[in-house]
Amino acid sequence: MRQMRKNLLVLAVAVVCCAPIGWAQAPAPASNQAAAPTASTPPATPPKPIVETDLTGIPVPSADARAKGDPDGSLTGNASDVTVADSKKGLTIGDLANQVGQNKIAINFVWTLITGYLVMFMQLGFALLETGLARAKNANHTMMMNLAVYGIGMFAYWLIGFAIQMGGVGAVVNLGGTAPLSAEFTTTLFGKPFGLFGQHGFLVMHKGTYDVGVMVLFLFQMVFMDTGATIPTGAAIERWKFSAFAVTSFFFAAFTYPLFANWAWGGGWLAGLGTNFGLGKGYCDFAGSGVVHAVGGVSALAIAMILGPRIGKFSRDGRPQVILAHDIVLVITGCLILAFGWFGFNPGSTLGASGNGNLRISSIAVNTMLASATGLLGAMFYMWIVYKKPDASMTGNGFLAGLVAVTAPSGFVNPVGAAIIGLIAGVLVCISVAFIERTLQIDDPVGAVSVHGVCGLWGVISLGLFADGKSNYGGAWNGVNGSVTGLFYGDAGQLVAQLIGVATIVGFVFTLSFLFAWVIDLVMGQRASAKSELEGLDLPEMGAVAYPEFELKSPS
Amino acid sequence: MIPVGIIVTFLGFVISLLSLTLASSVTGRLVLVLLGLAVSLFGILGLLNRAYVKRAIWKQG
Repeated sequence: MRQMRKNLLVLAVAVVCCAPIGWAQAPAPASNQAAAPTASTPPATPPKPIVETDLTGIPVPSADARAKGDPDGSLTGNASDVTVADSKKGLTIGDLANQVGQNKIAINFVWTLITGYLVMFMQLGFALLETGLARAKNANHTMMMNLAVYGIGMFAYWLIGFAIQMGGVGAVVNLGGTAPLSAEFTTTLFGKPFGLFGQHGFLVMHKGTYDVGVMVLFLFQMVFMDTGATIPTGAAIERWKFSAFAVTSFFFAAFTYPLFANWAWGGGWLAGLGTNFGLGKGYCDFAGSGVVHAVGGVSALAIAMILGPRIGKFSRDGRPQVILAHDIVLVITGCLILAFGWFGFNPGSTLGASGNGNLRISSIAVNTMLASATGLLGAMFYMWIVYKKPDASMTGNGFLAGLVAVTAPSGFVNPVGAAIIGLIAGVLVCISVAFIERTLQIDDPVGAVSVHGVCGLWGVISLGLFADGKSNYGGAWNGVNGSVTGLFYGDAGQLVAQLIGVATIVGFVFTLSFLFAWVIDLVMGQRASAKSELEGLDLPEMGAVAYPEFELKSPS
Repeated sequence: MIPVGIIVTFLGFVISLLSLTLASSVTGRLVLVLLGLAVSLFGILGLLNRAYVKRAIWKQG
């Protein structure tokens, strides 16, 4: 009976997993046929081209009418608002075309900037989440790391990082071209060009990059980088020397992050795996499960390993001990703020709302929501079943794990695919947290390595499995015609491209992060003194405690 | 142990990279990439982490 139940469960899981594949491979729906003319409906007349005479005599509201105000909005915004090149000639088709073009770019600017502001707001989510999971005696120090990383990261990225990442990206058509970002340093490997780093855009002034489109791109990419730079602080709270944190963050923003981001998004060699080696559409990472989260996650792993566990985290026989979070309200508030910011992170990564298939922002937003829900449910039920209680902090981690995982595939998968990706991430994060703590004996107080590293890598792989080939962002991706398609929909090469990205993050990015952190450890020491740690880092490192009006009694 | 761990981790990346030229079929490349990934993971978890756990703070004093 037990075996039968088990078999039924396996069958049910298999049916759910295979459903989207079946739907995607089904014949095209009848919507195309509906558009064909029938006997009862006459064929539609083709649109009439506009000629100059059509633009003369267009009625516009009189000055008297406008002077009375426009409470219902019917008079504001009309032909008189179109900028004309020559007032003597009046409105021409050229003026109209220019206005349409500028409107498209303006829509994309506003979209990208506002979604960038949402991503910036995620810094608050990280700050609250990490501080809530720390003990009260380290609250000031943890909040300060989350604040300082914003300034340190931005400064380093402005000086160096942005140019390395985007200096050779070429035309970003959604933002009007970004023509000055045109110099990628390229070498030849295996007989193919390998883009390694960009060369224009230092200080966002160098080589003509003082440009409105470049500024939009800088702001958006900067807040993404800062999200990645914040991740290691979570794994290192309660024992990271502030000075070492500052230097490590500078290197992350200036070199580690921008290098991989160039290879994936800036026209580098990973993006070229499709054009050069026939692997799908090259390495694809829509909004950064790999570029932002996994890169931040493996850097967090390197730092957590070098720092070692907090005093009291493991007993003498190596068994992990629970160190309680000081404020679960902050933790959950932080998670919800992060989820809100993710609506900037993923849909904003179209870099526009107008043209080139950008209306898919609705699908991306829905995918983002669904994966967060299934991630939350996966973690909550896993903890409930295995540990008998729906643990709040792990449920929060599952919520974030779903979001992290769907970040790369959000632009290329359907809602069922997104839900499955999130669900797997929600369970995966619980298993990973336990494995890292118990088997590897690494102290990661907030689960940053599991949420961002492990689930970020899962997100990259899941794209190579679940991308359904229905997206179309201008007809090509990474210079390869067609839509991004994963293994389940017929393109095994895409999965290999994704795995090469994963191997690069694990093998190269980790090594680089580790080397930086190791050298810093040798030169100035990464870890605060045991005395400071026991006292709490607030006073010794920051000079003030977070909650001066309360007597703090730490259980450890 | 730490320098060896760093080298082995990086070596895994090199193996994955070489899959682009050593194999022309998708399956061949897949196998080599997975091999490279396994080598990198061994470098991180089997060598580097073990080196740090050996001298972990709870084992001192």
